[in-house]
Amino acid sequence: MHVTVCFHSYFKDLTGCTETTETLPEGVTLAALYEKLATRFSKLGEMKNSTLLAVGVDYQTRDYVLKDGDEVSLFPPVQGG
Amino acid sequence: MTRMLAITTQPIDEAALLSKRKTSSGMGAVVYFLGVVRGEEEGKTIEAIEYEAFQKMAGHQFNLLFDEMAKRWPVESVRLVHRVGIVKVNEPSLWVEVAAPHRGEAFAACQWLIDEMKRVVPIWKKPVGEA
Repeated sequence: MHVTVCFHSYFKDLTGCTETTETLPEGVTLAALYEKLATRFSKLGEMKNSTLLAVGVDYQTRDYVLKDGDEVSLFPPVQGG
Repeated sequence: MTRMLAITTQPIDEAALLSKRKTSSGMGAVVYFLGVVRGEEEGKTIEAIEYEAFQKMAGHQFNLLFDEMAKRWPVESVRLVHRVGIVKVNEPSLWVEVAAPHRGEAFAACQWLIDEMKRVVPIWKKPVGEA
């Protein structure tokens, strides 16, 4: 299955891109996707404890099971206002 | 509860927003909050803040907050404007209006909304022009 991964805020600088895709086996969780991304983008791996994860427009926990076509977003803690 | 949300690059026109206030006869309290860019960020003098939003998700998260606010307090209306892009020092980046029957619930709802916004809405800021 394929998922799209979008990076926001300074995660774009850490990874050098705004968007990428990953090809994954069925049943993979967000946690596993994150680990795969961390091997591709080493600076992202350093942010593990402060990375927020969303699928579509909703926050999800790391045990969320991904589906084909999911749009995953990774970003640092928010700072509105 | 009626709601108005704008995430915009345009300067916040406070007078225009105020002129469009609509409340029913049962509303005795309208609370306003204006968030203004300070001239210092983490001890350094700055010229502006650059705001970035994940717009689609920010809109959805704001509406979830409005839904929850409506469950917790008898708020009749909420209007919120958040600027994105570059906002200079002393310019407003956030405008919030909450109307409710009494001041206790209007103040509480407005404070809760802003606190939650800072926790969950995907908007980030970057200082510009650090001295």
